[in-house]
Amino acid sequence: MKHASKATLRFAAPRLLAALVAGTALAGPAFADTVNVAIVGEADTFDPMMSTKDVVSIVTQHFLETLYTFDGSWAVAPLLAADMPEISDDGLTYTIALRDGVTFHDGSAMDSADVVASLERWLAVASRGKGVADKVEAVEATGPLTVEIRMKEAYAPLLSLLAFSNSAAVIYPQETIAETMTDIVGTGPYRIVEHVPDQYLQLARFEDYASRSEPSDGAAGARTQAPDEIRFLPVPDANTRVEGLLAGQYHFADGLPAESYDRIEGAEGVEPMLLRPFGWPVFAINHKDGLLTDLTIRKALQAALPMDDMLYAAFGDDNFFVVDGPMYPEGWAWRSEAGTELYNQNDQEKAADLLVEAGYDGTPLRILTSRQYEFHFKMAEVAKMALEAAGFTVEMNVVDWATLGQQRNDPALWDIYITHSPFLPEPALTDLYAPTSRLGWSEPEKDAILARFTTETDEETRRELFGQLQEKLYEDVGFIKIGGFNALMGHAAGLEGVTATPWPFFWNVTLD
Amino acid sequence: MTSYLVRRIVGMVVVILLVLTIAFVIVRLAPGDPAALMLGPEATPQDAVELRARLGLDRPILVQYLTFAGNALRGDLGTSIFFNRPVTEVLAGRAEPTIFLALMSLAIALVIATPIGIWAAYRRGSWLDQGAISTAMLAASVPSFWTGLMLQRWLATELGWFPAAGYGGPDADFLERMRHLILPAIVLGIVNSALILRFTRASMLDILGEDYIRTARSKGMPERRVVLRHALKNAAIPIITIVGLTFALLVSGAVVTERVFNIPGLGNLVVSAVLRRDYPVIQGTLIVVASLYVLINLLTDLLYLVVDKRVRY
Repeated sequence: MKHASKATLRFAAPRLLAALVAGTALAGPAFADTVNVAIVGEADTFDPMMSTKDVVSIVTQHFLETLYTFDGSWAVAPLLAADMPEISDDGLTYTIALRDGVTFHDGSAMDSADVVASLERWLAVASRGKGVADKVEAVEATGPLTVEIRMKEAYAPLLSLLAFSNSAAVIYPQETIAETMTDIVGTGPYRIVEHVPDQYLQLARFEDYASRSEPSDGAAGARTQAPDEIRFLPVPDANTRVEGLLAGQYHFADGLPAESYDRIEGAEGVEPMLLRPFGWPVFAINHKDGLLTDLTIRKALQAALPMDDMLYAAFGDDNFFVVDGPMYPEGWAWRSEAGTELYNQNDQEKAADLLVEAGYDGTPLRILTSRQYEFHFKMAEVAKMALEAAGFTVEMNVVDWATLGQQRNDPALWDIYITHSPFLPEPALTDLYAPTSRLGWSEPEKDAILARFTTETDEETRRELFGQLQEKLYEDVGFIKIGGFNALMGHAAGLEGVTATPWPFFWNVTLD
Repeated sequence: MTSYLVRRIVGMVVVILLVLTIAFVIVRLAPGDPAALMLGPEATPQDAVELRARLGLDRPILVQYLTFAGNALRGDLGTSIFFNRPVTEVLAGRAEPTIFLALMSLAIALVIATPIGIWAAYRRGSWLDQGAISTAMLAASVPSFWTGLMLQRWLATELGWFPAAGYGGPDADFLERMRHLILPAIVLGIVNSALILRFTRASMLDILGEDYIRTARSKGMPERRVVLRHALKNAAIPIITIVGLTFALLVSGAVVTERVFNIPGLGNLVVSAVLRRDYPVIQGTLIVVASLYVLINLLTDLLYLVVDKRVRY
């Protein structure tokens, strides 16, 4: 027996080692049409009503759907709704016809009761839903496939809110709805098969999916369900995402460091994908408490900041940023130049004069930032030098993201905190303009413009109003946009049909 | 022997109770709000307040501590805020990669360190001895993340011999999962071999200078037998101590290496839990790791009895 064991071991050990190195010889078969997607981290929840995190949106949009979505030009388009809603002349009543023949992953048919129950939950628990809840009179089913939303006052961003995948108004079966969703059942083109936290989320094609018939356009139109499976793999380390992409382990990798662009571009079998522009870094200003409640000091801050230097320090390569003052990039309907002469002044002498005028006494200007996003920290470092040159005393408070998330809720702890946002399809989707936000930016004229902006239904007038709002933003220094930046993603050369968006989706991709 | 064991077990319980208390206090002293993190950047402060209440984080600290300690003593480490699952279940899911990674890297470290350590001691002062010491110094000095990145880039990305990261997908069988551990195990094996090599060499040097070794040689005993049978056996206790400590450290989570290779083990879990402020998981991991550490130390001490019959407790 002893001899047999030794012999077996002697024989088996090299084979085992060879098999481990060779890998595929003994590994289980891989799906030919499985798309492996490396994402920046684990989704906190699969209930997108409860989170405004991008990673939650990216993942959940594959199995949960909203009444509306955005097409390739960020216009609202129907998804579970049959068509765009009928809106009464006074803008107070939205009549929404639902698509017939839509089934949930549990086999039940979607009807107006599901939609009403889901929207009521969204208004009650979702951050974005709660933001509009006080304007909603009622959500009612007026037929098996018709829903009516009655507003107390006209609210133009409503459809964008219903279309957005972030803090999303997704539709659940009525009977699964609970305060905490444990049973995630949707109507999306893919259904959840298995979730192993911090390892993978396995999605498989939903065979009874009822796709729209229009041509695919952004997230709108037909969802072809080309891959059999989609696997989301949380890979928090950016370098590991790069190596995994280059090694062929991932077909798509999100959130790659700018420094890896040349390497990906030069490698065979992979391609870089630049989302140009992705978003904007912002210095959020405390209007509730402290130094920056003084407009003259805010103007000094605005005058001193060298946006081009800050962006260069943050991103290193002008392929990845743009020095641009308007709140929306070139080509967007919301683009306006109003007020942008105050952007990127880089004038420390003017700032010094303004500080004298304000009677600045050397109270430290507290910048709350984190190294979770290294570009935030780098921008803060350059800003500190410029502000000190202008005469500010600057106190940097560098904390981890969790701490920043907590401390920014206490106005006594900061004057500026640094964050960023993707360019959102509708300005009202960011709360930075709202007097009720944690910034507390309230100014009578601005508040009046904002109120008109959210109630006005004519698109051209809304664009004009947004120009006025932007002008006011610069005049009153509500918050400070530093510029625009691009995001780098990468994909296998054989992966076709990925749309560059902050919330990439994979139902239409094909894998060669 | 029995009284020794009882003393050690009582000591273990005291250590674990201390760890339990320190873990609870430390995670709450750290700033950061799990509710705000879960809700995302656009959530309002009021949303965070409501979620904190739902998670029970608004209760007085003492009430939270007593609940936690009482449950922990009954084996219930609470429910993960992030995963919404029992902490014991979360930890159990992470044990496999960490334990196998520890075993594989320890095996690699021993294969590298033990023969070289013995040979270096036997040929003290030779080029091999100098080379071994210098290499061990280098291996111990180079950060494991750097070694990891280099091996990942070379052996996985360039040559395609190993997976670059992860622990296999849903269809990965046991061998495939182990294949994902080879590169991180090599990294940890290299790093840990340095310490074991130095201990082996030093311990062997002490023993090779003993009178009974000279006696054995003078009686004409073959060198191979002198070194491997007489010297190594008596040099084993310090080596076992360092191997035990290394194993305990590896089981407690090779944080950086697991992170670089995206291995879903205990080390990666604890880093994620700290970033997410998942208090129950941080506490649970610390308690389990402390218990494992103490237990492995006890087993190492008991192993002395097997190796050296003269040892008595």
